[in-house]
Amino acid sequence: MPDTEMNEHQVKVWDLPTRLFHWSLVALVVVGLITGFLAPEWWMGVHLWAGYGTVLLVIFRLVWGIFGSEYSRLETFTFTPKEVIAHIREVFFLRPTHYIGHNPAGALMIFALIFILVGITLSGLLVLGGEENQGPLAGAVNYQVSALASPIHAILTITLMVLVVLHVFGVFTEMRLSGSNLIKSMIDGYKQVPDNIAAPTNRNARPLAAITAMIAFALIAGTLLWVFSTMPPSGLSKMADNKVFQSECSDCHEIYHPSLLPHASWTTLMANLDNHFGEDASLPSKKAIAITAFLANHAAEKWDTEASNRFRTVSPDAPYQISASPYWVRKHEDVTDDVFKRKGVGGKSHCKSCHQDAGTGRFDDQSIKIPKK
Amino acid sequence: MKTLALTLAITLAITLGISGVNSAQANPARDAIVAAFAAQAKAENPAFSGFSAAAGDTLFHSTHTGGKPDTPSCSTCHGAHPQSSGKTRAEKVIEPMAVSVNPTRFTDTEKVDKWFFRNCRSVLGRECTAQEKGDYLTFMISQ
Repeated sequence: MPDTEMNEHQVKVWDLPTRLFHWSLVALVVVGLITGFLAPEWWMGVHLWAGYGTVLLVIFRLVWGIFGSEYSRLETFTFTPKEVIAHIREVFFLRPTHYIGHNPAGALMIFALIFILVGITLSGLLVLGGEENQGPLAGAVNYQVSALASPIHAILTITLMVLVVLHVFGVFTEMRLSGSNLIKSMIDGYKQVPDNIAAPTNRNARPLAAITAMIAFALIAGTLLWVFSTMPPSGLSKMADNKVFQSECSDCHEIYHPSLLPHASWTTLMANLDNHFGEDASLPSKKAIAITAFLANHAAEKWDTEASNRFRTVSPDAPYQISASPYWVRKHEDVTDDVFKRKGVGGKSHCKSCHQDAGTGRFDDQSIKIPKK
Repeated sequence: MKTLALTLAITLAITLGISGVNSAQANPARDAIVAAFAAQAKAENPAFSGFSAAAGDTLFHSTHTGGKPDTPSCSTCHGAHPQSSGKTRAEKVIEPMAVSVNPTRFTDTEKVDKWFFRNCRSVLGRECTAQEKGDYLTFMISQ
């Protein structure tokens, strides 16, 4: 190969902030993928921090794309479609032009990755607000919106995984064709460049401008999020205590939150107390009427939590049994009988044993804590 | 001085001990409930000759057939031993029924009526007679 005879010189391509950005992003994406696909529900908190961290990194990268040093600047790797096509053709014939910074195909990948990450974090925020009633959009977004955002979040994530594979493939291809170790460059910042490649202007980073831009952005975004967070949530968010309901129902079982069954189920259940899950649980009519009214006013339809939306669909065979509803069955599929038999759990009727916030009807993923014994 | 204090302490302990026994066994509210069942039993059956702890024991432990299939006996939920706690079918703990362990048992008429009404219908498939209720209470008071 004639290339080996050519003299090379070292060029500092990736400044420290860009390298830190790259590897932090790798770590956060890995954490996000593992906690999103593999880890049990109660890792949700970690998933959220990976998401918020990713938002910060992407914002930093865009700012650094303006004020960073030469090869970190977006303009140095913004190519026309013509240049991209020309580059891909060169790669195809195994004779690509050498670029000191990102080559056109790599540059396209960077923009695609950033675009997808923006989409993933935005759709994630929508799901978090609408489905989990958490985060800055908890009040602004209702369950219907999150039902749309949820599959988008998943599809974009799968797209991201495909892009990551292509990105790594591209890196190895260029390492093969150009002979320079790109992975090492992303660690120490230096690249071996043939002497015949012209050095462009080498502008320094402007950290002060970058910090100013980040602070300005934080102020604007913070204000916006604050405005969103002051919006009242859709549906009920809490209810007043009802003494009759509390004392009568808790005689025999844990108090089940009224949002866990729809209006029709509660009223039929209350009309049939003489045969309540195979027992007589009759109440004086005055108390029964009061409890029925309370349940009707706080039934699933009145709330907009994930649980209240899901539990509107009951089992046709057991319309009053929360643990028979399709959603309950699906969510507890992986919980074995042994877990339900643990002393600290005490059976399927004890929501509170594992769902620490069962009393509020929220059933947050982070509030799940399964007793070990 | 020392002997006086000791005497006082012993007297106090004995008094408290006796009153403790008293409150566990005899309680005016509970006595009234039993008396009311006795009056009712007499009205239902002129041959009524008092309540029997043994009959209450049998009622509590027997398996009945007239009620709901999931609750054939009192002991299904209350457990075989009145001194121990039981568990509802929804796995909530039921405090012991025996008055010696749980002195506040059968002191609230409303509560007593509510649970006899519900549980007799669940276990026996009918309401209990005053005789049965009185036997049951007498058994639990003796425990």
